[in-house]
Amino acid sequence: MRHAKRCSWLLVVLLFALVVSVAYAQDVPVIGAQNCAEPGNLTMWVWDENWARVIGSAIDVWSEKYCPGATVDLQVQPWQQYWDLLKTNVAGGNMPDVFNVSQDRFFFYASNDALLDLQTYFDEAGVDTSVWGSGMIDPYRWGDNGDLYAAPVNWDTIVIFYNKDIFDAAGISYPSEKWDWYGFAAAAAALTNAEQDIYGAAVYSEYQSGYPNWIASTGIPPIVGPGRTQCTLTETSSLDALNFLKDLYDNGYMPSVSIMGGASADDAFNFWLAGKLAMVSAGSWKLPTALEEATFNWDVVRLPRNPETGRTRSIVHSVGYVASANTPNPDLAANLIVYLSSDEGQRFFAEAGGVAPANPAVQQIWVDSFGDTEVNIQAFIDATEDSQGVTVFDEIWDKINTELVVNVFDLGVSVEQAAQDACDFINTQLSAVR
Amino acid sequence: MKAQQLAQPSGYADLSRPLKLLTYAMLLVGAFSMALPFVWMVSTACKPPAELNTFPIQWFPQQPMCMENLTELYDQSPNFNRYLLNSAIMTLGRTVGQFITCSLAAYGFARFRFPGRGVLFALCLGLLMVPFQAILIPEYMLLNRLGWLNTLTALIVPGSFSAFALFLLRQAFLQIPIEFEESAELEGANPLQVLWYVTLPLSVPALAAFAVITIQAAWNDFLFPLVAANTPETRVATIGISLLQGERNTPWNILMMGSFLATLPMLLMFVVLQRYFIEGVSLSGLRTMR
Amino acid sequence: MRKVSLPDLPEVSRNIMTIALNWLGRTPLTRRRALWGLALVAPNVLGLLFFFGIPVLNAFITSFQEWNAIKPPVPIGFANFERLANDSAFWQALTNTLKLLIFAVPVGVASALFVALLLNQQLRGRGIFRTIYFLPVVTSTVAAAMVWTWIFQPRYGLAGNLLSPLGLRDLNWLTRPDLVLIPIGIVMVWQRIGFDMVLFLAGLQNIPRQLYEAAIIDGANRWQRFRFVTLPMLSPTTFFIVLLSVINAFQVFDQVYVMTARTTRGGVGGSAVTLTYFMYDRGFLKSEFGYASAIAMVLFLIILGMTILQLRLQRRWVYYESEGGV
Repeated sequence: MRHAKRCSWLLVVLLFALVVSVAYAQDVPVIGAQNCAEPGNLTMWVWDENWARVIGSAIDVWSEKYCPGATVDLQVQPWQQYWDLLKTNVAGGNMPDVFNVSQDRFFFYASNDALLDLQTYFDEAGVDTSVWGSGMIDPYRWGDNGDLYAAPVNWDTIVIFYNKDIFDAAGISYPSEKWDWYGFAAAAAALTNAEQDIYGAAVYSEYQSGYPNWIASTGIPPIVGPGRTQCTLTETSSLDALNFLKDLYDNGYMPSVSIMGGASADDAFNFWLAGKLAMVSAGSWKLPTALEEATFNWDVVRLPRNPETGRTRSIVHSVGYVASANTPNPDLAANLIVYLSSDEGQRFFAEAGGVAPANPAVQQIWVDSFGDTEVNIQAFIDATEDSQGVTVFDEIWDKINTELVVNVFDLGVSVEQAAQDACDFINTQLSAVR
Repeated sequence: MKAQQLAQPSGYADLSRPLKLLTYAMLLVGAFSMALPFVWMVSTACKPPAELNTFPIQWFPQQPMCMENLTELYDQSPNFNRYLLNSAIMTLGRTVGQFITCSLAAYGFARFRFPGRGVLFALCLGLLMVPFQAILIPEYMLLNRLGWLNTLTALIVPGSFSAFALFLLRQAFLQIPIEFEESAELEGANPLQVLWYVTLPLSVPALAAFAVITIQAAWNDFLFPLVAANTPETRVATIGISLLQGERNTPWNILMMGSFLATLPMLLMFVVLQRYFIEGVSLSGLRTMR
Repeated sequence: MRKVSLPDLPEVSRNIMTIALNWLGRTPLTRRRALWGLALVAPNVLGLLFFFGIPVLNAFITSFQEWNAIKPPVPIGFANFERLANDSAFWQALTNTLKLLIFAVPVGVASALFVALLLNQQLRGRGIFRTIYFLPVVTSTVAAAMVWTWIFQPRYGLAGNLLSPLGLRDLNWLTRPDLVLIPIGIVMVWQRIGFDMVLFLAGLQNIPRQLYEAAIIDGANRWQRFRFVTLPMLSPTTFFIVLLSVINAFQVFDQVYVMTARTTRGGVGGSAVTLTYFMYDRGFLKSEFGYASAIAMVLFLIILGMTILQLRLQRRWVYYESEGGV
């Protein structure tokens, strides 16, 4: 039954895509694809088999339509070992011509001059890079001129996923766009049901899904300030945000890390899927999982507003395409990246559903790929309006992400102490790279 | 089966009844903890998506869908059989290779005096002492220079030499009374013939242990094949399984179905080989000659 | 001008030949045996040296360099080693590793021996039990990590519920710096038992039954037979297993990685970081490959020292049926 339903929806989506593509064909594209100057061979790395399939079909069209004779050796590496393998290949002088990076890992390759400056290529292709939100591409700017070194593939923002059944059982109305931290705290308190082992919320988890969103809403960049010069965790507004969350935890409205089995966003989300949590903060990438695995009624809503600033900010992350600085075919590599970022190339992502395409021209196709769901998908898009890119790089990401969370939300360390410890480490790292 | 009846397990007369019950009780408690993760793997392999997230852990699927998950595995990983085949080729190649190189070397180290014997043996052992992560990059560079990246050769040849198996077999050979070999030599057999006709048949249990450990290690090897050969044509099953784990979403049931399929051959292998951990007929026959 | 007289070439070559022959052995027979020995060990030794010796040599060279895998390496002499000696994280990793070793090696070897002795009896279902005890060796690490994380989860976990009569239900085993090594050590033992059991089972088959029969005639009881027949006759196997378990414990990585991957990645304040994990962290995560190689070399020296020590000590307690122990 379900399959049949899905198939019919696929058909509708495909039809829609057809209509849209016809409609867009007459309009000026947001990002247009270009013919390549000269065909050649490229190697390309991605870390996800589903992505590989999508990118593979895009590349087929590219090599047929825009660059006849070009070949791309598209290789999938397991996510868990992706960065280690990449370093192994780089060390052996075999950096792939084109590959995927995340915002936190970009820094290492950019700061070692290993990446191709894509700015001129995008300029030549007449691309207005402001079509992408600043949170999406600011972390991918590098050098004195702030040139673009990576093209964003997708974006994901953070919202609150909430279990409607638990709200109903507690007799509380569902949250609205306008809610603020006080409303959130009151709801978390009312939704907690110790007897039934149900917690109000878990929103503190590691980097993107968790506590940095709350710090961002106070108006400062979370964890590391602009220019990667200073740790911001010990600033008053950071401490306020963390203490707000810590109060919820101390009152028993949020479970500890150990109770959920881990500090990662996945652990909190799985706890929510198990019906143990009324509210969890998570990203748009969890939509397909929630649609498939949730056994209760649910919806999403934007993060609550900070009562002082009135802002709700989401950490936004975007996977990027980069090219090797030493590729023998820089023009070709850049041409492929422009194509994959173009309206045409991004449509493959949009139609596949799952991750949201970075190019706004195909956004609606992505929304429609979920069919006639009741879920408020618009919340994810609205969250891009005021969003904050990832400001840390890998050493800090790996260490601080979880250790701060465990210290505060599992081991009972005070926010001030944990933030100070974290900043000591971060500032050492920052001075090391400078 | 015959062998089991002929040869009593070494060491002990039959256990008395209370001792036997105690033994079973202890074995059962241990077996429980040994089997738990395996049981979870199998049960998760059959769970529908809606049952994947439960607290506390759920041991049996309410609505099992093993076949659906199996189909889904091959939908997500259409080359999975190819990966299993590559694993089998790699395992077979390495095991045969190690059997040849290591039994020869173990025999050489155990029974012959030659200059540099201690140093060479220590050098081999020393290689066991460097963690593989430390040589991951130089190993990759070496294979790259040989032009072996992404070939079955890279999966098989370097793994055909082993310090572990050398050490294991040498220890076993040292435990065999030397008289049998000496009498064979007096009859004019050359060292290869002695090894083949006398030493190896006397080492059946050790060879079984060698086989179990080498086959298992080759089959489960992950890091080496990952840097050596990771294309759809040369990928082994362990890597194929890890590709099912996404950055953001992991379909646990599909992942566990893949892991379960990959475990089955190893279980079969062990069930077959564990029979050789009994005093072999040939061995007890020879022993009575003393 | 002095005339340089050329030496008598045949004589020189004869001398070299004699030296080489004497080097090989004194009599034709020992020479022949020495040549056989060299020929027998050559394939494995050369293969190992080529495929693993060369990379190790490379890592050795890297340990005297500063290298981040992208920029060309810069030779810096002994700087990495000096830094290592003063790095408190290194000493912490060494301490953690030794703690795990002191727990996991004796407990692991003793449990494996115990299980092997039980499963060497004539028991119904022996093959099934052996297979079950071998399961941890072949079960997917990911599955094992999931279940062990659950076992040590407070409130819901098995460990907490078993210990709840003692009031220890809600311990945060996997995050508390003072506890985290316990689950890691237990998982190390758990994964190792099946492996060592196989080796012990093989070793047990080498003990001639006649020895037991003679002991029974002499009136030895079960314990005495174990103490005076099984243990000494099994000692070469035990030695082998202890040696490998020590090496294995020094290199423990996977268990730390999977048991802390979802929480602290090496423990709060590095409380679960072992030497190999430390090396991995400095190398692949922080791109200090020169420093990581230096760690590897120091780790190698430590293991080498331990191994030589054990080889020395083995003469006191290991009994070989035939001559030839190193």
